[in-house]
Amino acid sequence: MSAAEAVTRFVRPGATLGMGAQNIGRVPMALTHEIIRQRIGGLTVVGCNLSIGMDQLVAAGLVRRCESGSGNLERFGTTFSWRRAIESGTLEMEDYSHLSMVSRFLAGEMGVPFMPTRSLLGSDLLPGGPGKAVIVDNPWRPGERIVLVPALQPDVAIVHAQRADPLGNVIIEGFATHDPEMIRASQAAIVSCEELVSTDEIRAHPERTTISFLHVDAVVPQRYGAYPTSVYGYYDYDADHLGAYQAAAKAGSPTIDEYLQRWIRDCAAFDQYLQRAAGSDRLAALDRSMAEVMG
Amino acid sequence: MMDTSSAARSTRQELMVIEAARRLRDGDVVFVGTGLPFLATTLAQRTHAPNLAMIIESGVIAPLVRRTPISVSDPKVMHRAVKLGTLREVLGTLLQRGLIDVGMIGGAQIDRFANINSTWIGRPGETRRRLPGSGGGNDMASHCRRLLIITPHERRRFPERCDYITSPGFLDGVGGRERAGLNPQFEVAVVTDLGIMEGDPATCALRITGLMPQVSVEEMFSQTGFRPEVASAVWVVAPPRPDDLRLLREELDPEGVYLKTESAGAVSG
Repeated sequence: MSAAEAVTRFVRPGATLGMGAQNIGRVPMALTHEIIRQRIGGLTVVGCNLSIGMDQLVAAGLVRRCESGSGNLERFGTTFSWRRAIESGTLEMEDYSHLSMVSRFLAGEMGVPFMPTRSLLGSDLLPGGPGKAVIVDNPWRPGERIVLVPALQPDVAIVHAQRADPLGNVIIEGFATHDPEMIRASQAAIVSCEELVSTDEIRAHPERTTISFLHVDAVVPQRYGAYPTSVYGYYDYDADHLGAYQAAAKAGSPTIDEYLQRWIRDCAAFDQYLQRAAGSDRLAALDRSMAEVMG
Repeated sequence: MMDTSSAARSTRQELMVIEAARRLRDGDVVFVGTGLPFLATTLAQRTHAPNLAMIIESGVIAPLVRRTPISVSDPKVMHRAVKLGTLREVLGTLLQRGLIDVGMIGGAQIDRFANINSTWIGRPGETRRRLPGSGGGNDMASHCRRLLIITPHERRRFPERCDYITSPGFLDGVGGRERAGLNPQFEVAVVTDLGIMEGDPATCALRITGLMPQVSVEEMFSQTGFRPEVASAVWVVAPPRPDDLRLLREELDPEGVYLKTESAGAVSG
């Protein structure tokens, strides 16, 4: 399925959108760009660390609210559009820790209403308001405080993976962050992938399957679909283009609007962006850089 | 053995990283955040603690990191790991489960009772600056029995009380963690480019226990927003060994990603 078709079909205005991976690794950029091209707004974006993908959605004016453990690109700085929107009051932010967010996805994928955790206690991440985390007594050890975080089942998850077959069996290599819990918790999941493999190949090595097709609704083959972030085993991140985005995001309007126009809205599809932003020599260099890391 | 000429050539920032590394023991299982914590933990692994296991929140277990990665999701962080798992696996089944010895973390604001703020600078109703948020920081401070905080020493980073408690230290002091339902077994040390502050077992407040060479207690006071107590015996941080400096400069951070350009205002999530 094409990114355009998958996004049209599964991402609705006002949806709760789960975003995969984190920081500068395996961020679902091709699917993010498609949401921006289709201007699907009013979104609640959820994840553990939310980085450049979320920041671009915020810059495009498509996000109403975020629930996450953090927003930043580490060495490349904070998520500037996100920060500006929160500080100016146009974006609601509900803070959790990374473990408490993944615990919410865990409750969601298990089909139970909440999950206990010992994180958050004593901090200003508690107490929450309606629908947020609460402290209860351990029923078996009265007096022992434990936090319950509410289950989270996003309307749709977008994730970029190394490989998938046409049915939706997905192989994630390298660190997996919160993606397995989040995909299985979501009402629908779109997975873009570097390589489309056959179902025969999946069946030949079922132990390699991270997520079965029962949890996945659309597979979008997209080489370099996480660019400019990295994909373990395939390519490194592009520090120059990440830096260019960060500079635009930090500058704000009109620089960031020009970035979105030039690199996203004016591109008919993600392949056109790859050619404009990187080109085949640059992409090959990122491949080699990853090969060196793999040693 | 001490080579004082190279000690003189090291920066306080380098010595801060080296001192943080010294506090890790061989065999420790260390949950490590991005930035200077990575550098210090890698240095320990490459020197006195070859059996140290690094755990990184993206899901990476026990890598043998060469050059310091720039992010917990930098591919370099995965070099020769024993397992590439999930965030729940490391934050849940290792950290919350109690299998981590030490948490190594940076911080935006640290207060008298070692509470950490990485969420909001400024109080509600004021003009506020939004920071990246908890990340795994709250989880580390909640579940680690030993917490090492490494941060540049600036007055604005050490308020009497954090504007927002993202990650719990001793909260409001003696008994604070226990009242909140957290594990009361908790040690904390803050290693800065001026010296060392550690939680006083009697009061739970940070007190000055060590100083970088040529730094006075008065200088520490002037750069600390609260007035810390001073331990009865304050020691001076030992100078670096030439090998430590060579490793830092030539192998771990050859491009000076952390040690030359580390911005005082940068925070990591």
